[in-house]
Amino acid sequence: MSAYQNLEQMKGDFYTQKFEAGKQDGTLIINMGPQHPSTHGVLRIVIEVDGEYIVRAEPVLGYLHRMHEKMGESQTWGGFIPNMGRVDYGHPMAWNWSYVGAVEKLMGIEVPERAEYLRVIMTEFNRLTSHLLWWGAYILDLGAFTPIMYAFDDREMILDILQRPSASRLTYSNFRVGGVQMDFDDKCIELMKAFIPHFRERLPMYHDLVTENLILRRRIEGVGIIDADMCRRYGCTGPVLRGAGVAYDVRKDEPYSIYDRFDFDIPTQTSACSAGRYHVRVAEMEQSLRIIEQALEQLDGAEGKHIVDKAPKPSMKPPAGETYFNTEGGRGKVGVYAVSDGTKVPYRVKLRAPGFSNMNAFAECSTGMILADAVAVLGSLDLIIPELDR
Amino acid sequence: MLQALEGLSTQCVAKQDKGKTGHAWSVFLAPGQIVTAAQKLYESEYSLEDVLALDFEEGFLVIYHFNRWNIDERVTLRVLVSKDKPTVPSIASIFDGAEWHERETRDFHGVNFEGNPNLVPILMAAEDVDFHPLIKTAKVRKSIKDLLNRGEVISCNKEIEELFAEAEAEEASDA
Repeated sequence: MSAYQNLEQMKGDFYTQKFEAGKQDGTLIINMGPQHPSTHGVLRIVIEVDGEYIVRAEPVLGYLHRMHEKMGESQTWGGFIPNMGRVDYGHPMAWNWSYVGAVEKLMGIEVPERAEYLRVIMTEFNRLTSHLLWWGAYILDLGAFTPIMYAFDDREMILDILQRPSASRLTYSNFRVGGVQMDFDDKCIELMKAFIPHFRERLPMYHDLVTENLILRRRIEGVGIIDADMCRRYGCTGPVLRGAGVAYDVRKDEPYSIYDRFDFDIPTQTSACSAGRYHVRVAEMEQSLRIIEQALEQLDGAEGKHIVDKAPKPSMKPPAGETYFNTEGGRGKVGVYAVSDGTKVPYRVKLRAPGFSNMNAFAECSTGMILADAVAVLGSLDLIIPELDR
Repeated sequence: MLQALEGLSTQCVAKQDKGKTGHAWSVFLAPGQIVTAAQKLYESEYSLEDVLALDFEEGFLVIYHFNRWNIDERVTLRVLVSKDKPTVPSIASIFDGAEWHERETRDFHGVNFEGNPNLVPILMAAEDVDFHPLIKTAKVRKSIKDLLNRGEVISCNKEIEELFAEAEAEEASDA
């Protein structure tokens, strides 16, 4: 007997069966993922289609769930920092920062000025790699292979720069409570300064190659409307919210660190569609360059070292209390809510992933569109599945 | 006083030190008030950040974080539910995003959200419906008064007063 003759298996798993209960006549239920290439990992969406139109959709999460919050409650405060690099491989520095920022707030530690500059520079470079990865992969989802090669060419240069002070290329965990692990060396600063004019030259080429492309514009313009009210109901943040015309950025609206010292804009688009989110992210790359440029100029005048004197050991004991700290990640508001009971093990670490809320809006947004457009919307949300599942 | 929640019967309203806790307001509510509170916050242009639970000796403390886009004023709603019957009404009908956050909270702590349209495991496997990883053992479980600080209290009823009573008496004697 072949597996296909086994009726029990053909019924599908719990989520399929539950979804099937609401099926209409004449429609078809398909599973998009968890191995679909456009879902970037293991996201599964159960979709009911009427011909080519989506009637209902329900994302099924949890395939990459690792229970980081439980890990947080089972090891020391310092020992949890490497987990932050693994929650979101796209923009791990923002997660690093949210976590150490929360612990610093609990302990009342003031970070030296130089360490703040190092953090800003590295986080903004990391935002560039995050957006470049999204840009290449999104266009790849939509069927164009070449752009990801250009994106990874530039991304590779940033990885070479960031590996000098952080000793890793993807899952960065070089933030420490009180500063960062290592200072920049001269070669690193030289490479950073050389990268800015190089990337400024490349950005117009990106636009010529992709942004103005008629096929891309037809695929994404007006597709997948997530307006400001929907963002508020679902808690969407980051480029999804800014693509809906709301200039909300944690770096400006809930300023942390030294972001108030830099002159940069918050790009917004009013179209609220996939193209709006695309334009916001591409414009953000230029703004990150501006921040890096100013930070590098001011770095020499910054006081202090890369880490505070007598920095706390990994087995530190923050005083009992609670705190919430958030930063702006590549995908939106990255929040960490930490509760300490005065011991060396956290009482509770809650991770607020922006992708989780952004993905939540997908079901409502995709209803009524054709299946091929769903791929364009998924890509425009810039999903990093490990971050959704934590 | 917190404008947005004007007219709502609360258990305890306190102003908190934003620099220290990241919250501007901390509001304790009875489970029955949470839907009205969410409605009021929605009307005052707040958006939902997350929902989570904390395991305490007194029960599960369900926490809702709200913030506004134009003014940075994080409001924390807290609902204390007993361990025997941890049930809170769902706010998914007002903030659609709450649906997933509530499902996650049910996965991790077993808090039941009445009225959630789809209360099945989201991050945990469907077979693990009765396994809640973040429930603490009695050995490490603490009391609310030892960990949380009420902040600058504006109004407070007896119930919450008693929760924090001992800790503040100790603080006073230390001083």
